[in-house]
Amino acid sequence: MIEARELTKRYGDFTAVDRISFKVKKGEIFGFLGPNGAGKTTTVRMLSTLTSITEGEAYVNGYDVRREKVGVKKSIGVVQDVSNLYDELTVEENLRFLARLYEAPPENVSKLIKDFNLPARKKFGKLSSGYKRRASIVAALIHDPPVIFLDEPTIALDVKSARMVREMIRALNVAGRTIFLTTHNMVEAETLPHRIAIINRGKIVAMGGRSEIRRLLGSETRVRLKVEPLKTSLIHALEEYSPAFEEDALVLKVKDIDAFMDELAEIKGRLGFRIVHLSTELPSIEDVFLELTEEEGEERGCACGGCPI
Amino acid sequence: MKVWAIIVKELREYMLKPGSISWGLVFPLVFSLAFIARFGDIDHLIPGLLSISALFGTTSFVASSIIFERRLRTFERLLLAPVSYGEIILAKVLVGAIFGLLVSLVTLVLVSHFMAYSIWSLPLVLLYLILSNLAFSALGVYVSLAISNSINVMTWLNLIRLPMMFTSGAIASLTLFPRWFLVVGLITPMTYSVDGLRYGLLYYYDVIPPLESMLALVLMFLLFMLLSIRALKKLY
Ligand SMILES: Nc1ncnc2c1ncn2[C@@H]1O[C@H](COP(=O)(O)OP(=O)(O)O)[C@@H](O)[C@H]1O
Ligand SMILES: [Mg+2]
Repeated sequence: MIEARELTKRYGDFTAVDRISFKVKKGEIFGFLGPNGAGKTTTVRMLSTLTSITEGEAYVNGYDVRREKVGVKKSIGVVQDVSNLYDELTVEENLRFLARLYEAPPENVSKLIKDFNLPARKKFGKLSSGYKRRASIVAALIHDPPVIFLDEPTIALDVKSARMVREMIRALNVAGRTIFLTTHNMVEAETLPHRIAIINRGKIVAMGGRSEIRRLLGSETRVRLKVEPLKTSLIHALEEYSPAFEEDALVLKVKDIDAFMDELAEIKGRLGFRIVHLSTELPSIEDVFLELTEEEGEERGCACGGCPI
Repeated sequence: MKVWAIIVKELREYMLKPGSISWGLVFPLVFSLAFIARFGDIDHLIPGLLSISALFGTTSFVASSIIFERRLRTFERLLLAPVSYGEIILAKVLVGAIFGLLVSLVTLVLVSHFMAYSIWSLPLVLLYLILSNLAFSALGVYVSLAISNSINVMTWLNLIRLPMMFTSGAIASLTLFPRWFLVVGLITPMTYSVDGLRYGLLYYYDVIPPLESMLALVLMFLLFMLLSIRALKKLY
C-alpha cells in the first residue's frame, strides 16, 4: 500500500531523511518510531505530497507520489501533528467543506458525526484539545480513503483523550484501512502497530514485527528478581548486570543466562537470602528504542563507568 | 465548485477577524470621512478614496486569511485535498475581491452623498471597481505568499500600499508633480485604478486613457495570479 525506496529529503546541506526504504502492507498498522527531530514528520509530508522528495521514490496505493499527486491525495487521509480545522466553523461545517473539496458524498458527514459522536454544532475553536484531535482524525476520513497517515496523534493530549484516540486508531484499522502511525509514545508502540520501523537522525535503524524488534538487543534477556531480605551488598554483587528497580523487583540485563544462574547461586550461598520471584522477559520496545536512538557517546559512555563526569 | 466552497469558507472564517475589519474596513472608511470633514466638496478625491478602499479592503482580507492559514497550518488542508494550485489561488483572489468590492461599495454610497456632480457612468464605475479589486486582491495574495516568514507579511504590505496612495495620484493629481514622478506613477498598479475610476465618475482622466487603464488592470490581475501560483509552489 505504501512503499518508499531510498527516500531522501534535504534542506540545504542538512539531510532530514536519509535514503529510507520500507513497505507497508494493505490493512497493516505501521509504527514509525523516532525521537524528536528524527525525520518522522518530514517523511509523512513527503509521502502525502506536502513537500517535495529530494531523492528516491515513493508509492501510495499504487500511485507515484512524485508524478501522480491527485491519485495519492484521493487515496490518503492525513492527520497532521496539529489539529488544523477552521476555528470559526462548526464541526459539521468543517466536514461539509472538506466533503466538497474531496467531492465526497454529503451523507458521509452525518454518518461520521454519528459514528464518532462529535458535537456537530460546536465551533471547532471552542472544542477541548481532545475533541479537536478527534475531529481532525474524523476529518481525514471524509472521503473514506484506504490509507491513513497519523503524525503523533496523541501528542499533548491528556491520558483519557490519548486512550480515546488509540481506540479510534484501532477501529480505523479494523475497518480494513492501512495506517501509517508516527509516534514517540511507547504505549502506542507496544500496543498498536503490527510492524515497526525505528528512525533516528533520518535513518531507519531497525524494522520488523514487535517481537523481532524486542529481540534486537542481541541475546540480552531481562531478568526480574525478588529476594528477601534485600541487601545493598547484593546489588553491589550484581553490578555487572546493571541492576535497576522496577516496582519492588530488581531488573537485570543478562547476556549468558547459564553463567548468571551459577553466579546467583554462588552469591546466594555467600550472602544468604531467599528468592521470592525469578522470571525472564524480552526487553521492551522502549529498551530497544532507547538503545538504538541514543546519541553517540552520550549514555553509552556513562554506562561503562569511563565517563569523566 | 470547489473554488466556490473555498470562497464561502473564507468569508465565514475571516470576514470578522480583526485584521480584515481594522485595516480592511475601518481604515478606508475613516480615511474617507476625514477627507469629507476636511474638504466638504470632494468630487476630485472620490476616485482616489474608492481605489484606496479597494486596495485596503482586498489586501487586508487576503493577508489576514493567509497569515492565519499559514500559521495554524489550515492552508495545508487545501494542499492535501485534490484541488489544484490554480483553484486555490483563484479562490483566495476572488474572495479578497468580493470583500474589497463590498468595502468600496460602502465607501461609494458614503462619498456619493457629498458629491457636487452626479456620477457620469455607474456601470463603468462598477466595472473599474471590479477590475481594481481583482488586481489588488491578486497583488495581496502574491505578497502574502511570497514573504517566507508570515510574521512579516503585514509590514511588507504596508511598505507597498502606503506609498502607493501618493504615487498613484489617489490623493494629489500626478499632473501636479515633476515629470520623473510620473514614471513612479506608471509602475504603481493603483494609478490605473484611480484614473479609470476618475473617468467613470467624472468623465475625464489625468494620465491614462480609460481603455488602457482597463487593460492594465486585467494584465495586473493575471500577472499576480501567475506569480502567486509560483510563490505557492515555492513555499511548499
Ligand atoms: N522546513 C525545514 N527546513 C529546515 N529543516 C527542517 C525543516 N523541516 C524539518 N527540518 C529539520 O528536519 C529534521 C527532522 O524534522 P521532523 O521530520 O519534523 O522530525 P520529527 O517529526 O521526527 O520530530 C529536524 O532536524 C528539523 O529541524
Ligand atoms: Mg514531528
